[in-house]
Parts: sequence; C-alpha cells; structure tokens
Amino acid sequence: MAPEQITLYTAKVCPYAQRTEIALAEAGASFKRYEIDLTNKPEWYAPKVNRASKVPAIAYGGPDVAPENPSPESTKLAESLILVEFIGDLYPSSNILPTDPVLRAKARFFIEIVSTKFSPNFMKFVSGNSEGTHTVLLSGVDAIQDILPDGAKYAVGDQFTIADIAFVPFWARLNLLVQKGIGAYTDEERKNFLKGLEDPKYTKFNGYVQRLLARESFKSTFHEVRSLLCR
Amino acid sequence: MSEQLTLYLHKIQLALAEANAPYKAYQVDLRNKPEWFTSKVNPVGQVPVLTYGGPNVNPDDPSSLSAKIAESNVILEFLADLYPDSGLLPKDPVLRAKVRFFIDATIKHIEGTYLAFVQGNESFDNVLKAIEFIQELLEEGSDFAVGEHYTIADACISPHLARLKIVTETGIGNFPAGMGYKLGEELEGLKFAKFRKYAQRMLGRPGFKQIHDEEAVIGYFKRRFTNRIQ
Repeated sequence: MAPEQITLYTAKVCPYAQRTEIALAEAGASFKRYEIDLTNKPEWYAPKVNRASKVPAIAYGGPDVAPENPSPESTKLAESLILVEFIGDLYPSSNILPTDPVLRAKARFFIEIVSTKFSPNFMKFVSGNSEGTHTVLLSGVDAIQDILPDGAKYAVGDQFTIADIAFVPFWARLNLLVQKGIGAYTDEERKNFLKGLEDPKYTKFNGYVQRLLARESFKSTFHEVRSLLCR
Repeated sequence: MSEQLTLYLHKIQLALAEANAPYKAYQVDLRNKPEWFTSKVNPVGQVPVLTYGGPNVNPDDPSSLSAKIAESNVILEFLADLYPDSGLLPKDPVLRAKVRFFIDATIKHIEGTYLAFVQGNESFDNVLKAIEFIQELLEEGSDFAVGEHYTIADACISPHLARLKIVTETGIGNFPAGMGYKLGEELEGLKFAKFRKYAQRMLGRPGFKQIHDEEAVIGYFKRRFTNRIQ
C-alpha cells in the first residue's frame, strides 16, 4: 500500500528537524515541506500540529490540504528520532534501517551514545557553559569513536542508517561553528578542540565525519547560512 | 542487582513474557562484577544487557559469538524485531510511531518528572501534569497503551506504575510528608480514571505479578528515600 500524504513542519536551522529531512531524502519520498519560523511561530502550530510547539512534526494522511490549514483527520507525529524510524518503516526501500535485528540494535545504541555523550556536551560548549570545555567535547568524540566499527563506511557498517542520520546534523553544526569561530566558548577552547581533533588517534572519527558530510541527503538538506544565524 | 536497576530489567522481562520468548536470566552483583562480565559481555559494565545468539552456553561463560545489546529501551526494540509477530510492536508504521512516542513520554514524564518528585526535586503540580500527559496518550476503550495488543510501551511503563502505587500507598519518598498520599487521592479522582484503570490492568497481568516483589521494592524505597524535604 502506498504511503499517504506527508506534510513536514521543519526549520532549516534546527538539527533535529534536519534528521527528518535527511531520512525523507534517503527515501526519495514526496512530501510537503513547511518552514516554521522558530522565533515567531504561527498561532495555529501548537494547537493543530504539535502541542510541544517544536519542530520537526509530521501530519500524515488525511485530505490534501495546505500546510497552514492542517486537517484534524491527519495523524500528528513528533520527536525527530521517532519520525526517522517512521520514515524507515514507511519506506523500507530507503534502506536506513538495517534488516538484521542485531545491527538495528547497534544503530539504536549508537543513537543513545550521541544523545547522552555528544549532544549535551556540544550544547554546553557552544553556549559557553563552564562545564563545556574542549576536553569534555573531545570525550564526546571519544565515546562515538569507541563504537565506530573498523573498516566500515558508517556507524554500523557500510549502510547509511538512522544512526548516521541522528548524528550528522549535530556534527555539521558544531563543525561549522568552530570553523567560523561562532559560539560562546573562548578562542583558546576552540583552538584546543580543533588541535585535539588533529591527533592521529582520531583518524577513524575524522574519516567517518568526512563521509557523513559528503552524503548527498545531508548536503541537500543543510543550509549553511541559516545554521549560522542560530544562537 | 540493586532495586533501581531491577526496574529496567523488569521492562525486558515483561516483554519477553508477553512474547513467550525463552531466555536465561543471570544476576550480576554490580558492586562485585565478575571479570567475564566486563570483558566479555558489556565493557561499560551496565545491566541490563542481553546476549543473543551464539552457542548455547552457561550465562557465566558467554561466547564471543553472541551479540551484546545494552540499554533497556534498545533491548525492548530488539525483542520486538526478533519477534515480529508477537505484537510487541505493531506492524503499522503509524502505530509503531505511537508506541515509541508513548515510551518517549514515559521517559520524560515518569522517569523524569515523577521520579524527580519522589527524589524531592519536583513540584506536586508538575507531577499531576506529567501523569495527565501520559493519560491523554492512552487510547479510549483499549486495554493497552497503543492498539489492541500488549506492546513494549506497556512493558516500559508497568514497572513504574507498580512503584507509583507503592508511593501513594506508603507515602515513602523525599517529597514533603503527606504528598505521597495526596498524590494517591488525586489519582483516585474522576479526572484520572482512565490512567488508574490502565494501571490496574497492567499490574493485574499474570506476567507482571510473577516478577514483581512488592516487599523488596518497599524495603528498597525505605532505605533510599530518607531525606524528606520539609
């Protein structure tokens, strides 16, 4: 059975939302894309689409209406990781979910590590939190490298999966911010982080993130200028 | 293992029971981990962890050929993948998303807000809002959290419901005196009828009664929550 209509509520700046856009790109799915201005959200958004008032959100099924006029008949879904799995379920040919249950579990465990060891430290670092030192940030990098397989292209093997989709928007924004020197960290912390990454022990990690940034579904959904405008 | 972690183990045992899946359980003393556990099973040293596949060995002699899966929610999804016809996860993508959203809400509102309340770090009003959020996700007229079958959503929340019941019946917790009973009174009201009935159904399931040791949990709570906020 063909999937029903998909309307994605998203924002170019938001790394969580980009996860969903990457998944849709990998699936080659057709969908309606509606940009939400996070600094000035439409008053219909929370009551009609997502009570938490965040992006991303998907309105699935129901009649073919304009995104600004969501129908009560469509199913409203939220939370970026749940939406990525949803797209993987709707479009098995997207190949973003491994077929082997053990590999799936590895992908989900990788996502847990990103969520607990990398993302919080990334946020602390760029917001100038005193706990957000380059050492702490590098420990997040270590945690990811520790579970990267040897000799494989991506997080759980040669297949580009939900694990990679979960991580790349965050890495890309951190990478962009430190390259441009944008963020509340000191210049010394920034230089120490970049220098730390040059250590040969991070060869595996550096190879991995290079491949991530080269992925077409990432490139087509990453908007550099907008990402810079995010504080 | 400590009671704290037993909660996470129970989620998995519930799912295994409902899927009729055979398994061997092995208790690990976290304060005195066997060497083989850290080196062969889980380098992070956490429980619960599941080993899958490989030769049929004794649990204390794990084979390098088995896969090691950690993190209770990852394990729940893994079991649903292993037993696709068990109903642990529905086949329909929208229902699967709803199951996952329920689990996500359980983590945020029960493992987050409600747990913080018991630890003395969250307001009574916020706990009521949290439980209301969960209640609103419960389908009307269904025995289960999502759909027509027991899913990993039910397995995820059930151990918490048992502990919530203990808190409301014994008043044990670091919140100010009486707040546990007050929470119980609120949950007895009409407003929370849907949640209350759902909890009763979950706690009444034979699979649940088999693994839950009420006295052990109460004993643990008495030892753990000794710092009541004034």
